[in-house]
Parts: sequence; structure tokens; C-alpha cells
Amino acid sequence: MPFALAVADALPTLGDAAVREQALRAFEAAGLPSTRDEVWRYAPLERLDLDRVRPATTAGDVPSSRLADAIAAGACAVVHTVDGFVVDRGTAPSGVRVSVAPPGATPLEGSPEERYAADAFALVNAALAPGALEIRVDRDVALEAPLVIVHHVSSGLAVAPRTHIVLERGASATVVELLVGGAGSVVVPVGEYRLEANSSLRLVAYQRLAMDAWHVARTTAVIDRDARMSHSVLGLGAGYDRSRNDAELIASGARNELRTTYLGRADQVHDLRTRQFHRAARTTSVLLSKGAVDDASRSIYTGLIEIEHGARKTDARQTNHNLLLSPHAHADSVPNLDIRENDVVCAHASTVGPLDELQLWYLESRGVSREDAQRLMIQGFFAEMLDDLPSGVATSMEEDVAALLGGVEVSA
Amino acid sequence: MSTGLVIDGLCVRVGEKDVLRGIDLRVGAGEVHVIMGPNGSGKSTLAHALAGHPGYQVTAGRVLLDGVDLLSLDPTERARHGLFLALQQPLDVPGVRPRDMLVAAGASPEGLEARIDDEARRVGLRPDLLERFVNVGLSGGERKRAEIVQFGVLRPAFAVLDEIDSGLDVDALGAVARRLAAATSEWGCGLLAITHFRRLLSDLRPDAIHVVSGGRVVATGGPELAETLEREGYEPFRAL
Repeated sequence: MPFALAVADALPTLGDAAVREQALRAFEAAGLPSTRDEVWRYAPLERLDLDRVRPATTAGDVPSSRLADAIAAGACAVVHTVDGFVVDRGTAPSGVRVSVAPPGATPLEGSPEERYAADAFALVNAALAPGALEIRVDRDVALEAPLVIVHHVSSGLAVAPRTHIVLERGASATVVELLVGGAGSVVVPVGEYRLEANSSLRLVAYQRLAMDAWHVARTTAVIDRDARMSHSVLGLGAGYDRSRNDAELIASGARNELRTTYLGRADQVHDLRTRQFHRAARTTSVLLSKGAVDDASRSIYTGLIEIEHGARKTDARQTNHNLLLSPHAHADSVPNLDIRENDVVCAHASTVGPLDELQLWYLESRGVSREDAQRLMIQGFFAEMLDDLPSGVATSMEEDVAALLGGVEVSA
Repeated sequence: MSTGLVIDGLCVRVGEKDVLRGIDLRVGAGEVHVIMGPNGSGKSTLAHALAGHPGYQVTAGRVLLDGVDLLSLDPTERARHGLFLALQQPLDVPGVRPRDMLVAAGASPEGLEARIDDEARRVGLRPDLLERFVNVGLSGGERKRAEIVQFGVLRPAFAVLDEIDSGLDVDALGAVARRLAAATSEWGCGLLAITHFRRLLSDLRPDAIHVVSGGRVVATGGPELAETLEREGYEPFRAL
């Protein structure tokens, strides 16, 4: 069945049909992108057949996931979604509210229609997301242990997880989002995060979908005065893994640290898009993207730093390092600057190349084999991204990466 | 069977330059030898070439460690055969934890943390500095001590120490030298220490001192040779 018809059929079951229909019409008007669009030119869109996937309309049971269990071990609360449906809200610690917001709701200012106007996949999310998982941390509450969200995805479906996180003034929290499963599925997550003044959010998105899944994610963080967002995006799964992460720094002292890393295997494509929008003076963004491409995989990094007129003393840095592990792998890096203010510091750097020969030799000279040295160094990319996480979470993820790098095809 | 290190007519080229021009050296099993020499004489080149650094090209000669031709082995195999190099400027390897590196290098994972902690204490290094990533965020002196911790955990048959004393204060240097000297009796480790300073000698009590100049060994002797160098500098040896 044509995808749009299948979505239309699903709307009565999902409820709130009017809001969803509007999103569906916007999706039909926007149409799927084509590789003639510059921002989609590396996506294997010819391989995307939306008509083959069925919109998820019900939630199954929570499937077992060893990786999820390991990561959740030290969590203060664990929330499970299945095919976009929140099936287990866990037990939130005091000062934290976990709820499900209706379609069309958003914690951000501005209309979703405008925000996602031409973004077909975000519009699919708006039409299909059963509801938004909303995590709200009350004023001045500091969560010590991480809150873990596990998104389970079944096979052959179109799945639209949606997560809203709101940190009220002075709150601080660590949230880990894990995506698992999804053989043959198309997964289009949307995340919207609001950080009120003086709040601090450490967010880790760990994408471990099946290798034949499509993953097209979009997140937007709005960061207020003296608030700090530290965001790590780790892409390991999915045949096509696209992750667009936007941050808006709306008042002075706002800080965004975005670290993305990926490992390309087989003919995977990792497509990373970032936009750091400095709308106020004395705001900071630090972006580090590091990844490795092996076999015939490819990575694309496109980052935009945008600085509005008047955003003086802005400090914006963008770094992208790509490792080529195979002669058939490919990496593209396209940093962009759009600066409408003079009194700023901006820097971008990118490298594409093999592993550092001297570092490899150093490890070899201790007795480490070349193969192990390479594996350790690539694993190290991920370890660096996880460095300031609670050790249980970091260890589980590092072991997962290590197993994949060791050639062990472990299921998440 | 341990027969020590034998270097015969070793010639090494760095880029277009012939830096080592026929090094001959014999370090008996469990012996401690020291190499001294002016800047640019080829001391570090010798250390790097022994460990198979990719920037150093061996053009002639042979090196035997306990009877095995090191030059026919890749850097990993050399280390596995018992050669350890403590670098003058140890590299940092972000993301790689010392523990994981040591396990991959062949150290037994069992009780490894305790051994790392013990070795760190012996050279006065805070053990928590070895919990993050290899040499990342460590000062020059801390890196030197971290090399000796690796040495102590890996227990190599033979170690080349490239200016292990630079960047260390007197106390740290004493601790490092005592650790090295103890290794010679603990497992019969042989040592070849490259240094500019006599300080290292009092604790290491070398069996022989060699002066390297112009890419060759130009003099060999006992502790009295170091005293001569201290007094007269390297100038008298340049003419040799």
C-alpha cells in the first residue's frame, strides 16, 4: 500500500486524527527528498521504499535487550517505549515527571509546522508519533544517576519515537536514550529539549538499530541563560543513519557541547547534520565529530555555525576527524559558517585520513598487535565520547562497541 | 636462554640522513649499560630503530636479543620477544586506557589493577592518573613515570630507556632508578639507558658506559668514563 494511504488508514487508531492529518498533508506537500537536494545527495534514497513498511499502530510487549539491561543497571529510572508507544514509564525519582504529551504538543516556542516545514521525515513523526515521552525535571533538582530511555523497535514498521525533555531553572540531569531493534524498519525520531536558565543536561543518544534499518533523526535544543547542554550522539546501527542536531543559544552564558561519533561498516551511510544557532551574546558552542568508516561505508558531516548580529563574544568551534579504515570507505566533511557579527571567535577544522601511525607504533612497541592497536584506538573514539558518563553506562556501551569492532555481530 | 643484546654494525637512516654509521654494542644478560653522547649523536635514533619506529630505516647491521634477529620482527613481535622502549617523549593515545593497552600487550588481566597500583607507587605516581587514557593530561615527568609503570607490569627481558631522567625531579629520578635497578635482580632484566646526566648512574650502577658520537660508539669504559665526560665534555671524543 502507498505509504501516505497507510498512514491515513492508521490515524483513526492512533487518535487525535485532525492534528495528525495536518502533518500528513504537510508531508505529502513536502514530498520525499531526492538526491538532487544538496542536503540529501549522499543518502541512498533509491533504496528507501516506504511502501514496504507499515505504520506502527499498537505497542507490543517490551522485548528483551541485553544491552538495554546493562545500560539500565545503574539508572535512577528506566522508561521503555515500543514502536514509539510509551509502555513503561518506570518509577521517576522525586522532582522528575514522566508523562505522555499529545500530538502537536511541543516544549519549544514557535510552531512545529514552521520548524519542520520541509522536513518530510519529521513530518512523518508528527503524523505518526503515538505521543511524546515528556521528561520534566523540576526547578533546582539535581539527578545523580542517569535516567535511561529505551526505544525498542519491531521489524518492518515505520516508527516515530518522540522525546521532550524540559529542565526547569537550575535543574541538572543525565539522560541516556537507546534505540534498538528495527530490522527493515524506518525509524524517524524527533527530540525537543528545553533548558531553562542555569540548568544542565547531559544527553547521550546511542543508536544501535539493525543494519538494514533506516534512521532519520532530528533534535532541537533551546538553551537559555547560563544553561549547559552536553550532547553525545553515537551512531553504530542502521544502513542509513542520519542525525540532525540543532541547538539554539538564546541568552548569554548558554553553552552547547555536541559530540558525535560513528562507526561505518559494510555499506552503511552515516549522515550528520548540525546547526549551532547563536542568537545572544557570550554564548558558546563546541562541536566535536569523530568517526571511522570501514569496508564500503561512508560518512558525511555538515555543520553550520550561525551567529546572529549582536551575538557578540560568541565562541563557536567545530572539529571533525574522520578515520578511513578501508580503501573503499569514504568521508566528506563540510563545515559552514554564517556570521553576522564581527566580535566573535569561530574556528573549524577537519581531517580525513588513516589512524595516526605513531600512536599505532607506540601501542605496538608495548607488544600490542597492529590489529588490536587499531581496534583499541577506534574504540577509544567512543570511550572519549562517553568519558564523563556514569561508569556503568559507559562500560556497557564500550563493551558493545568493542564486540562490534572485534567482528562479533552482537544483537543489541 | 638469555644471552643479552648484541648490536653489530647497525646503520640507520632518518629521511636522507645517515644518523647511525655502524654501531657495535654488547650488553650481557642482566647487565646495565649506559649510553652518553652529545646532542645529535644518534642516541635516540638507536632507541627508536631498535623498537622499529616507522620513521627510522635500518640500512645495514644486525641486532640480536637473546639470539633472535630483532630486525626481522615487526614492532609487536620485538616487544613480545622481550624488548621494551621507554620513550623520551611518550605519546598520548586518547580513548585508550592503560589497562586495556597492557592486556592487549600480553599482561595477565588477573590482579592487573593491583600490579599497576603497586608499580605506580614505586615510582611515586598517583595511580588514578593511570585510570583514564594513556598519557592524556599527564605532565612530562608523569609520562616518564608512567612508562616505568608499564615496564614494571610487562617485565620485559630487556629495556631501552631514552633519557628517562629528563623532566624528573631528584626524588622522582631516584625512585625510577631504584625501580629499574631492582628489575635487574627481580627478573634479570637487562638495561640500556641513554642519558645526559651522571645522576642516574649512582642508582643504576652500570656495568659499562658507552660514548656515542657521530653515529658510532667511540669509547667504552666504567664509571670513570662518566667522570671524564663531566670534566672535559664530549669534545675530546669528537676527534676519535
